[in-house]
Order: sequence, then structure tokens, then C-alpha cells
Amino acid sequence: MSTPDRDDIGLLAGEYVLGTLDESEHNDLSVRRSHNAQLDQIITAWEQRFAPLALAIKPVEPPAEVFSGLLRRLDSHVRAGDNIVQLQRQVKRWRRVAVGVSALAASLLAYVGFQSLRPAQPDQLVAVLQQSDTSPAFLVSVDIKSRELTIRSVAAPAQQGKSYELWIVNDKLGAPRSLGVVDTQGATVRRALVTYDSTVVRDAVYAITLEPRGGSPTGHATGPILYTGKLLEMAQ
Amino acid sequence: MDASELVTIMKQVAQRDRQAFATLYKSTAAKLYGVVLRILYRPDLSDEVLQDVYLKIWDKAADFDATKSSVITWMVTIARNRALDIKRRKQPQSVEDLPESVEIAAESDDPLQSRELREALQQVNLCMQGIEQPKRDMVLLAYLHGLSREQLAQKFNAPVATIKTWLHRSLAQLRLCLQSRAEGSA
Repeated sequence: MSTPDRDDIGLLAGEYVLGTLDESEHNDLSVRRSHNAQLDQIITAWEQRFAPLALAIKPVEPPAEVFSGLLRRLDSHVRAGDNIVQLQRQVKRWRRVAVGVSALAASLLAYVGFQSLRPAQPDQLVAVLQQSDTSPAFLVSVDIKSRELTIRSVAAPAQQGKSYELWIVNDKLGAPRSLGVVDTQGATVRRALVTYDSTVVRDAVYAITLEPRGGSPTGHATGPILYTGKLLEMAQ
Repeated sequence: MDASELVTIMKQVAQRDRQAFATLYKSTAAKLYGVVLRILYRPDLSDEVLQDVYLKIWDKAADFDATKSSVITWMVTIARNRALDIKRRKQPQSVEDLPESVEIAAESDDPLQSRELREALQQVNLCMQGIEQPKRDMVLLAYLHGLSREQLAQKFNAPVATIKTWLHRSLAQLRLCLQSRAEGSA
């Protein structure tokens, strides 16, 4: 397979903004954009080029109940969000003061009811996969020595006829690589990272897409990217 | 409300100011709803998508960077992306329902638009006019109405691979035109 040159990427980025890429290409680019500043810049440039056309569309007043419904949704959204914001603040504070790993892990895991993880070790990393700062969905734990990965749903709803699939994303790997389908009940534990270099594992972005039942039929992400996150080093 | 006032409002939203959030909605919802409705066509879907968009704006307000984008451009990008996400997941509409060709508004007197944005619209209009038909309509139907390559292939009775080639040529031409106009005015 040939490596796309810079111009191909530029035009693919243009199609990304137009919205004409097929699902797999679109998702690949979404994931790569999240950790590749240069690609993000190219896509942003296309967004800026086209934006005047969207801004020239005639405004249409939405029905009044959209706003009242929005305020109701905001209330529950904020309540749900407060928990994870608090969690993230705790993690940051813990990291800053370099408290013992087990205290951090115990508090973090107890907080989200993630009791099935084994006791934390210095080589244990944890990521919260989320759509936004206020919507945690999965917790990922990686033992960097054994490359064993544990993932558990925190708040991801089961999707009828669909499966969640976990991907590792790192420029060094090229396209995102599947780490397998993830259950929404209980924890999934697997040695899925055993073939990857520890630096790649540490620096990667982890992403969840929604795929047909049983996982992507193509080996590439075909569904929408729902949640992403990076591993936190718990011991510093 | 002008563009600089919107920046102030967005900073207040980033501080979790609900009054500012309501003001932001009142000032911008019609613009975003127009964009979403143009892509989804269905008011029932568009209503919920508009709410999704404002919740995302609430979450991401602190990420807004006034040195990279205007508030309204940033918000419209979020709205388009959400509408396209939903469109990809739902049954696509029939191409028969779509307009034969697409007109771009020559200018807008919308106060949300800064002078820079109005000038940018003129530039992109001029460059779009340089793209020959039906390629121009393909780009506009994709951007404004969210048509996929497959839908464009159906509408223009051409293979998907040809549509892709035409889109790439149009994009390359548009990029070159906009870059040379920007350099010419610098």
C-alpha cells in the first residue's frame, strides 16, 4: 500500500470537511486528527474556507420547546458531568502531589465502582474514555509490563445489534489498530497489547467506535467514534 | 450582537454561566438550526441535534480559541459535524427530494457576521464560480446538504470513483484560488 502524499492528505481533509468520505475513511481521519496537530490544522483550514457558505444559510427559528428541552437536558448533563469533573480534578491533584499509587488507584476505582481491577502496581496506567469532559463511558487499565489491558464500561449504554470496539491510535502504527470488541457488562481483560512497544502503548490515544455486532467487518474502524482518552501514569 | 460580544459571552459560558448560555442560544440558535435543517431535512431530528450541539458547546466552551476562529464559525462547525454524524446513521433521504442546483447567497446582512466573514463569503463565492458545472453543484450539495459520494453518484449518474476524482479536482482548484486571492490581497 502506498503512503498518501501531503496533497492526498490535504484533499482527503477537504472531503472530511465536506462530509463525503466513507465511514471508515472518516473515522480514521477523526482518530488521527485527535493526536496529529498538523492534520488538525489542515482540517481546520478547510473548515475556515467553507464556513462562509454555511454562515450564509438563511436562519430558521427553532420551535420554542427546543430551548426548554435543552435547559432540562442541561440540568441532568451538568449533574452527570460534575462527577467526572470531580474525578478528573482528584486525579490531577493526586498526580501533582505524587501520592502512593495504591491510594490513588483505590480512590479512583472505588469512585467509579471499578472493583474488578487488580491492585494497582507502579506500572499500571489508567485512561478514562469519554466523549466530552463530562461524559465518561469506559475505564481502561493497562499493566505496562505484561501489556495486559482491562476495560470496563462505566456508563456506556448497550446498543442493540451493535458492538463497541476498542482501538489503539498512534502515528507510529499508521492506521488505528483494533484491540477487540468490548462488553458493556463486567470487565474485559486481554493481552491485546503484547505485540506493541511500551512507548507506543503509553503515548497512544485509545478510542471506542460503534461497530456491527461482533466488531468491524473490515479490520478498520467503520462506525462513529464515540469515546477517546489517553493513559495517565499513576505513579510519578 | 456582534462578533466581539459573542467572544465575551463564550468566555462566560466557559465559566458555567447559564444566563450567558441562554443569551448565546437566543443569539445563534436560528443560524445553527438553519444549517442543521438544511442537512437533515427532518425537524424532529434537527430539534434534538440542535440540543446536542448546544450541550457540546457548553462542554467545549473553554476550548474555544478566538485567535483561530470566530465564535459563530466554531459553533457552525460543531453543528454541521453533529448533523452529518446523525445523517450518516439514519436512512439517507432520496436524491429526488434535493434541489436541482444550489445557489449561494451572494452576501448576508446578518449582524453575527463580521466584515471579515462577509469578505470571506465574497472570496469563496468568486472561487466557486470558477469551478465548472456540475462539479460546483457537487461540492455545494455535499457541504450544504450533506450528500455522500454515493448520493452524488446517483444524482449525477456517474460512478463513485469519478465523483471522488471530481471532488478532489474541485477542492484543489478551490484551495488554489483562495490561496492566490489571499496572497494577492496581502
